[in-house]
Amino acid sequence: MTQRTGTLKQGAGPLAYLSRGSTFKSLIPLMPFLAFVAYFLVFPLTFIIRDAFLSNDGKFTLDNFAESFKGVYGHSFAVSIRLSFISAMIGAVAGALIASAVVKTGTRSRRAIAATSSVFANTGGVPLAFMFLAGFGTEGLVTKALKAVGWNLYSGSFTLFSETGIILVYCFFQIPLMVLIFSPALENIKPEWREASDSLGGGRFSYFSRISVPLLFPAFLSTTLLLFANAFSAYATARAMTAGTLPLMPLLIGNLVDGNVLANQEHLGHALAVCMIGVSMIVMGIYLLVLKFSKAKP
Amino acid sequence: MKKKLTSVNYLVLLAASAFFIFPLIAAFEFSLRVNKGKSHGFENFRWVFQQGGFKTNLGVSFRLALLTAVAVLVLMVPTVVYLHLGGGRWKRMIEFICLVPLVVPVISFALGVGTAFPVFLQSTVYELSFLYVIVSLPYTYRALDVGLSSIPLMTLVEASRASGASMRQTLLFVIIPTIRSAVNGAVFLAIALSLGEFTLAVLLHWDTFPTWIANISQGHILNAIALSVVSLVGAWLVVLVMAVAPKSLRSNKTQEATS
Repeated sequence: MTQRTGTLKQGAGPLAYLSRGSTFKSLIPLMPFLAFVAYFLVFPLTFIIRDAFLSNDGKFTLDNFAESFKGVYGHSFAVSIRLSFISAMIGAVAGALIASAVVKTGTRSRRAIAATSSVFANTGGVPLAFMFLAGFGTEGLVTKALKAVGWNLYSGSFTLFSETGIILVYCFFQIPLMVLIFSPALENIKPEWREASDSLGGGRFSYFSRISVPLLFPAFLSTTLLLFANAFSAYATARAMTAGTLPLMPLLIGNLVDGNVLANQEHLGHALAVCMIGVSMIVMGIYLLVLKFSKAKP
Repeated sequence: MKKKLTSVNYLVLLAASAFFIFPLIAAFEFSLRVNKGKSHGFENFRWVFQQGGFKTNLGVSFRLALLTAVAVLVLMVPTVVYLHLGGGRWKRMIEFICLVPLVVPVISFALGVGTAFPVFLQSTVYELSFLYVIVSLPYTYRALDVGLSSIPLMTLVEASRASGASMRQTLLFVIIPTIRSAVNGAVFLAIALSLGEFTLAVLLHWDTFPTWIANISQGHILNAIALSVVSLVGAWLVVLVMAVAPKSLRSNKTQEATS
């Protein structure tokens, strides 16, 4: 008979055999997963990294990396990072505003909005590009409607294919992603805290600055970083939208390895891919640090 | 926890709905244009459904989604359950592994797969399913982890084992029914991802539904817009119906743990 029911710690009751014994034995049930990840994820990654360090005649070289930060490649790194950063900031702020309104509505509408967000957060590529061309293109309905009320979108240098235009398009999936991930954090804020703050004489501003912002900031920051990574790696939408007018990292890599250019640049493509992983790793490292130091998980 | 919405809240919701709805409406209007924009009709939609590629490519994407969903179930459910039972000491490691696909941009991943995989694997379109399992790891792991954290798993398993059920029976007839909503969530995520994924499919030179849309958009813009509207609104409706369906249809509890 066991007295240790209900605990999630190891070594309880009839399941003790699962965790008893050597480290290796306790790994056995995880083997299918580890083998799968090793073959389908780690194995391809080692190949990119290996190829990034090879010259065309198969010798070790660092030239590919040196090339990665020069000229058009260096420039497109800057453009990609800037664009991802701005679209993440806009997506995060707008998404947080929407989420703070959504959490006040009833269960049903919250569920409907979560479902809608999950669909919109996954749009991209040609369908998304067409929606914005139809809406905000030179002949688009929104453009015409705005012109009718006296705001000509195209009076300045704006086009949908510029950096500003792409950021606008990316908002269509960045904002719903923020709503989706940030809402649970908002729902964890208990109404009692507001009441406690009120009864202690705290005003609206002090509740905001001393309670909700400090509580929510870790979740906000970590979700923002997630949005950055999301925009940084977006390929389908960039490809459908820009047709080469804007140098974005994923597009350059795609061109380099898709056989559209000289074959001897494949290793450069791999080096660029490794650099992209590097940037994402830095961002994700910050994300993990934030998670570690925050109690309110997103 | 219904609270009063302030006027700022209403303004935000209104502006957001406008931003998301208008492009959709505009695309719908474009997709109805026929005779070079002189009149409106459903010809563009009809043309799309008549294409042979519509059925075959949609079929490929659906089969990929199905295979991905099955692979996610078979691989992830036992793994995460084990992490919650006896393998707790490996939880952090597995959590970390599941975050890796977020760090690797899909384009980089596609490059690696293209060079690393042997020919026999790259000769079938179903290789994509395994890659989709990897790409969806961060989301499926999270969904299952949250689901398992919210139930008294150890008690359930002990009760089931004490009643004489095998570990396999316990998994199939006790654990999975109890966390059905989490399992559903993971499966829907995997399916949504497989149906919409473009980068891996195009870089590994496979034809799926999203790459087919991109292809026909080259010469038939209005038809491609019609197709885009159909695919987005279709997905939206399906998810919406599932989300607000009455509770009896989304039930996630079973009364009988073991027989």
